[in-house]
Amino acid sequence: MTTLRRVAGKLGALLLTLFLASLLVFFSRFLVPGDPVSFLLRGRKPSPEAVAQVTAQYGLDLPPWQQYLNWLTGVLQGDFGRSLQYRQDVSQVIGDRLPVTLGLVVMAGTMIAVVGLTAGIVASLNRGKVLDRAVLIGLTVLGAIPSFVGSIVLIAIFAVQLGWFPSFGSGEGFFDTIYHLVLPSIALAIVFVVLVGKVTRSSMVEQLGREHVEVATSRGLKRGTVIRRHVFRNSIGPILTVSGVLVAGLLVASSIVEAAFGLAGIGSLLVASVDRLDFPVVQAIVLLIVTAFVVVNAIIDVLEPWIDPRAAAGAGAR
Amino acid sequence: MSPSPVMPARSTGRRVASLVAAGLGAALVLTGCSGAEPEKAQPAEWELTAQTDAPSGDLDSFTWANYAEPYSLDYAYAFDYADNMVLANVCESLMRLNPDWTLSPGLAESFAHPTPETWVYEIRSGVTFHDGTPLTAADVVASMSRHLDPAVGSSWYSNYQNVASIEQTGDMQVTVTMTGPDSQFNLGMGGSAGVIESAATLAEKGADYGNSTGGVNCTGPFSFGEWQSGESITLERYDGYWDPELTARSAEVKFIFMNDANARTNALKSGEVDGGWMIPADAVPQLLDSDQGDMLFGLNTAVNNLIISDLEGPLGDVRVRQALLMALDRQGIVDAAVKGYGNTTDVLTTESVWDGASDAAIASAFGDIEEYPYDLEAAKKLVEEAGVAGEELTYVTAPISSDFNVYAQATAAAAEAIGLKVNIETVTPNAYTALFSDPTAREGVDLFYTSWYLSSPDPLEMYSVLRTGEFSNYGEWSNPEFDAVVNEALTIEDPAARSEKTAEAQQIANEELPWLPMFEAPVTLFMGERITGVAPSIAFLYYPWAATIGAR
Repeated sequence: MTTLRRVAGKLGALLLTLFLASLLVFFSRFLVPGDPVSFLLRGRKPSPEAVAQVTAQYGLDLPPWQQYLNWLTGVLQGDFGRSLQYRQDVSQVIGDRLPVTLGLVVMAGTMIAVVGLTAGIVASLNRGKVLDRAVLIGLTVLGAIPSFVGSIVLIAIFAVQLGWFPSFGSGEGFFDTIYHLVLPSIALAIVFVVLVGKVTRSSMVEQLGREHVEVATSRGLKRGTVIRRHVFRNSIGPILTVSGVLVAGLLVASSIVEAAFGLAGIGSLLVASVDRLDFPVVQAIVLLIVTAFVVVNAIIDVLEPWIDPRAAAGAGAR
Repeated sequence: MSPSPVMPARSTGRRVASLVAAGLGAALVLTGCSGAEPEKAQPAEWELTAQTDAPSGDLDSFTWANYAEPYSLDYAYAFDYADNMVLANVCESLMRLNPDWTLSPGLAESFAHPTPETWVYEIRSGVTFHDGTPLTAADVVASMSRHLDPAVGSSWYSNYQNVASIEQTGDMQVTVTMTGPDSQFNLGMGGSAGVIESAATLAEKGADYGNSTGGVNCTGPFSFGEWQSGESITLERYDGYWDPELTARSAEVKFIFMNDANARTNALKSGEVDGGWMIPADAVPQLLDSDQGDMLFGLNTAVNNLIISDLEGPLGDVRVRQALLMALDRQGIVDAAVKGYGNTTDVLTTESVWDGASDAAIASAFGDIEEYPYDLEAAKKLVEEAGVAGEELTYVTAPISSDFNVYAQATAAAAEAIGLKVNIETVTPNAYTALFSDPTAREGVDLFYTSWYLSSPDPLEMYSVLRTGEFSNYGEWSNPEFDAVVNEALTIEDPAARSEKTAEAQQIANEELPWLPMFEAPVTLFMGERITGVAPSIAFLYYPWAATIGAR
């Protein structure tokens, strides 16, 4: 199989997945009870003509398939419709909030990678020893802390008690934003560090016990070199696979952290929009998360053979 | 201004306490509570403040905690606390609703009422919009006409429902013609229904008018600065503001959206934020003890009620409604839900909205009424007489704030104590909101809770809602005598004469209980140690309160 054909195949599968996701995302709104127009009215007395006009303005008077076609045509041109609650283009509403969530995900992702990989590697190299146990117990304890509890504890200690970090808001400018995102990133990273740490450890342990590692060691190669070239490089497959899942997980979990820290990201926007029946926004965010997930996983699929040559030869080599 | 007088709000026995607030030259009245049991341990002590100390100087900036992000700053959609508390400082109305809940001229210098069907407004000259262009009669016509445009779908349409035409009748004169006598139209012009925006801006911004990118261009003491979506709105002092009395004392004010009640309380307690309206009940005692600023109580127009939304069920019998009200330990609810900072009431309006009422009207509206003291035995008897013992009621609630649970549990306990079964249904806040606009959402629902505030200085606003067939008459209650009284009152121009008719309507509602009145509570406000000058009142929805805030 040539690389080109493989990439083309992946791309086809990706587009099909996205198409199916768009159907699911769009039509699921008709399963939710409630009328978007009654949300727009929010308990006020409308004139009957106004109800009809507002319904028509948002295209809610059309049959569902036609609404879908209109929506899809718009989405393909980058137009996600208009938010019912903000009376603004959805792309504008999301665009305003995306940088916060991306910043949060990037910072949390970096923490997860650094802490998770370090913990996993340290544990695997000390398998069965006190350090291994300590890391495992530490990870298990961290894994038991839900994001919202983590947020509350972090705010209580570092924002309210010590006053080192702000307790809400995303700041202005690059460095201020990073400063504001430190606590939220930690709260978001905690649960996922466990996942990466444990996968890294078990993957490394598996490789450490393999024949070629023993051979390499018996040939007199330095331990550091063996671990870098043979153990870590071969362990990276499962770690990457988990990382792909992490991306979607981080985007979704960010809603809790964003709410706790008063951050205007797409996670908290999603929660608010679901509650307010702001369908255009919900559809756009869900589609965005699905796309991010599918694309990241496709990229990992394509990249994996370059990092781990055995993957290209087929799963059998594992 | 000197420190303003405050009034005792808690007393035993029903009485009317009134006191002239010197700074404002107007009377604020509040009813003492009647249902308090004498042996009640340590009732919450509180006072209403009409006006805080005048600032010692100007400020560069202060921050304000807003419990939610406004949906829009378009006055046509500004229908909730979050929108109006910001908009009130940026946009002005034809009339001005003052902190003591009186109306005075606003962008209309004066108004005339030559026939029962016409209102003639003389527009103030020398007023400019924030972009520097002068206010004209054409702007007034364009702004008001939007409420009649179905494509806009204005939230304030009901104020305009009897309007036949809005026309410019002079250089600076606008005439509104009604289809019939309507005493309420002009009273509504002090709220967002009377806001005036530049016609050019409305045309230029189109659908983006009032949203976070479009912004607004009005005549208020502050101009729209920046709206950081999901986080904050910053307003800037407008140097060309026309009214020297209300020129902003702070160069800037920043509203921060803090949906989380704990986060808001933390920020106020730590001094991270300078102030906020509508303090969560749980936080009131904490903030009273805080040395970061003052916890204040102000005039309100809201009454906390149970809406009876099904008169086909057991609650269709007035005896059952009376029984349920008598089985509710309303003082207990006040203590649990608002930590004691409220008074039980038997009527659906507060005395604060009876501006211009005659003494006789006040006496009959608040004195000559049925009281429903906590009395389980009498209540049980009424339920037995009605023959509905054992029947089931559905009460819908939502996790909106901690007090919602108190109302639900207390109502269920009360109903069960008198032999009715109660099924509490918890729905999402959005589904709860739909109860107020969507009749299908109310199917099979007997009861839900609301805090209902009035936006004009006339109690008729409350009672016009309960007429047969009205949009917000959720239980479809119908009483021809009541309808006739309210309809007649609506045509009476003289406030004193009108108030006597309104008092009759209040007495009927008090006997018939289409909604069950529970209690009234003051508006709550926290003002940090850096700032002063605000007038604590629900007028914060329509009056440029932030302009008066300066350095302490």
